[in-house]
Amino acid sequence: MAARVLQQCVRSLARPSLGLFPVNLALRAAVAPAVTVHRPFSFAADSRRMRWLGQSRISSVELLCRQYGDLPPLTLETIKDRVMYVLKLYDKINPEKIQATSHFMKDLGLDSLDQVEIIMAMEDEFGFEIPDAEAEKLMTPEEIVQYIADKKDVYE
Amino acid sequence: MASAYLTHQQKVMRLYKKSLRHLESWCIFRDKYRFYACMLRARFDENKNEKDMVKATMLLKAGEEEFWANQHPQPYIFPDSPGGTSYERYECYKVPEWVLDHWHPSEKAMYPDYFSKREQWKKLRMQSWDKE
Repeated sequence: MAARVLQQCVRSLARPSLGLFPVNLALRAAVAPAVTVHRPFSFAADSRRMRWLGQSRISSVELLCRQYGDLPPLTLETIKDRVMYVLKLYDKINPEKIQATSHFMKDLGLDSLDQVEIIMAMEDEFGFEIPDAEAEKLMTPEEIVQYIADKKDVYE
Repeated sequence: MASAYLTHQQKVMRLYKKSLRHLESWCIFRDKYRFYACMLRARFDENKNEKDMVKATMLLKAGEEEFWANQHPQPYIFPDSPGGTSYERYECYKVPEWVLDHWHPSEKAMYPDYFSKREQWKKLRMQSWDKE
């Protein structure tokens, strides 16, 4: 009888779709006294409630597991596309002439300060810092892609 | 680089980078930042062909002092860099590599491609370790 009352409570709580975890907690808190009071009823009531819960929610299994937010995983191609895109946006580089292996200083005629700016743009694009000791060595887009893949554990 | 001393060019590059980062912390709107960044770049560019090293070092010293006077109290630090919010956050969960050898064979069977190559990598490492 108390189980039936609890079923009514759960059914009324189940109507709003948000607040799943509080519902479960309330359910568990409600089940505990119900189990102690109605010993022969408890098993049937629990199984009925759980089965009913499983059917009533549209996507209960997915809602029961946590969903984290994250960026899409990096692949070598996406890193290369992003690096080339940023480089083509830079106004001191000719977008037609840039290749993956074009050296900044020798082929494109850029300055060391330009190279600093390029590395800063890469840092802003990928969201992590490239320390100065390693940044001054990256002279081609290919090296930049390799370095980012090393740091972010990206491999084919 | 091999030695611990920085060349003049490296010092100038580092000053430029950190001054741009602090400028970015000061000027949060992108167009304003872009304008002042171009002004800063012009100031760096007008002195860049200085051949006299004494004068160049004096200019660098003046630049460092100006940076120190104008730096931002709470500059934007990337999360993964030292001083950032996520620095060494997952360090306690990183497991050394030799632990993979202690896996149960049923667990190793879940990644057959990796573990089949792992023996070869270990042999390569044994051979080339002495050379390094």
